[in-house]
Amino acid sequence: MTEHRRQILQMLSEGKVSADEAERLISASEGPSSTSSEPGSALAGKSRPKYLRVQVDSEDDGGREGPTKVNVRVPMQLLRAGVKLAYLIPAAAMQKANLAMHEQGIPVDLTQIKPENLEELVEQLSDLTVDVDQKDANTKVKVRVFCE
Amino acid sequence: MIPFVAVVSLRDQQSHTFRLWIPMVLIWLLLLPLGVLLSPFIFIACLACRVNPFRGVLVMWQIFNALSDTQLEVEHRSAGVSFHIF
Repeated sequence: MTEHRRQILQMLSEGKVSADEAERLISASEGPSSTSSEPGSALAGKSRPKYLRVQVDSEDDGGREGPTKVNVRVPMQLLRAGVKLAYLIPAAAMQKANLAMHEQGIPVDLTQIKPENLEELVEQLSDLTVDVDQKDANTKVKVRVFCE
Repeated sequence: MIPFVAVVSLRDQQSHTFRLWIPMVLIWLLLLPLGVLLSPFIFIACLACRVNPFRGVLVMWQIFNALSDTQLEVEHRSAGVSFHIF
């Protein structure tokens, strides 16, 4: 039992604080220290990811041809810089792309997508995990996309 | 930080490995005069496309700087290719 918790319980027994207040005080005093003391804890998991990983494991022809593995690691910084290329798309090109997308039945107005929206999109990628498993008679494909 | 070295590694099915270290710094130094020579044309092209040339240069510089730590590996059977930028 820590000294801080003992003091809070002492205050509770003396009637200086209510049970609810004591609970709040204990959780407030223990919250940061308990998470930071465990390296693999949720706090560590919430740290900003540095890389976007794409892993593909594939076995064709029942595995007779041997496995094929693809492993791509892209720095998130590169993605953040890459989306800034949106600044460089000329308006005429944007309109042509809009027209082509409308012809394909995709009602998206690219002119409404601002670079800051794209940056926000990249930020949200940190919570992205895509797992695809495909198993046929002759083919096994496993695709993983995640941030680390 | 700009990428300094790229490593291309090739491995055949007999597990013979060929590793090539490419000093990117030398390539950048060689490309620098070319970039300077092309800069007026790039500037004009940006203006023609109504793109801010300074912002364009800034974005390209940021992409260039972010290339470090990019890694690509492809393996098939025991053969493989990997490309790593440091």
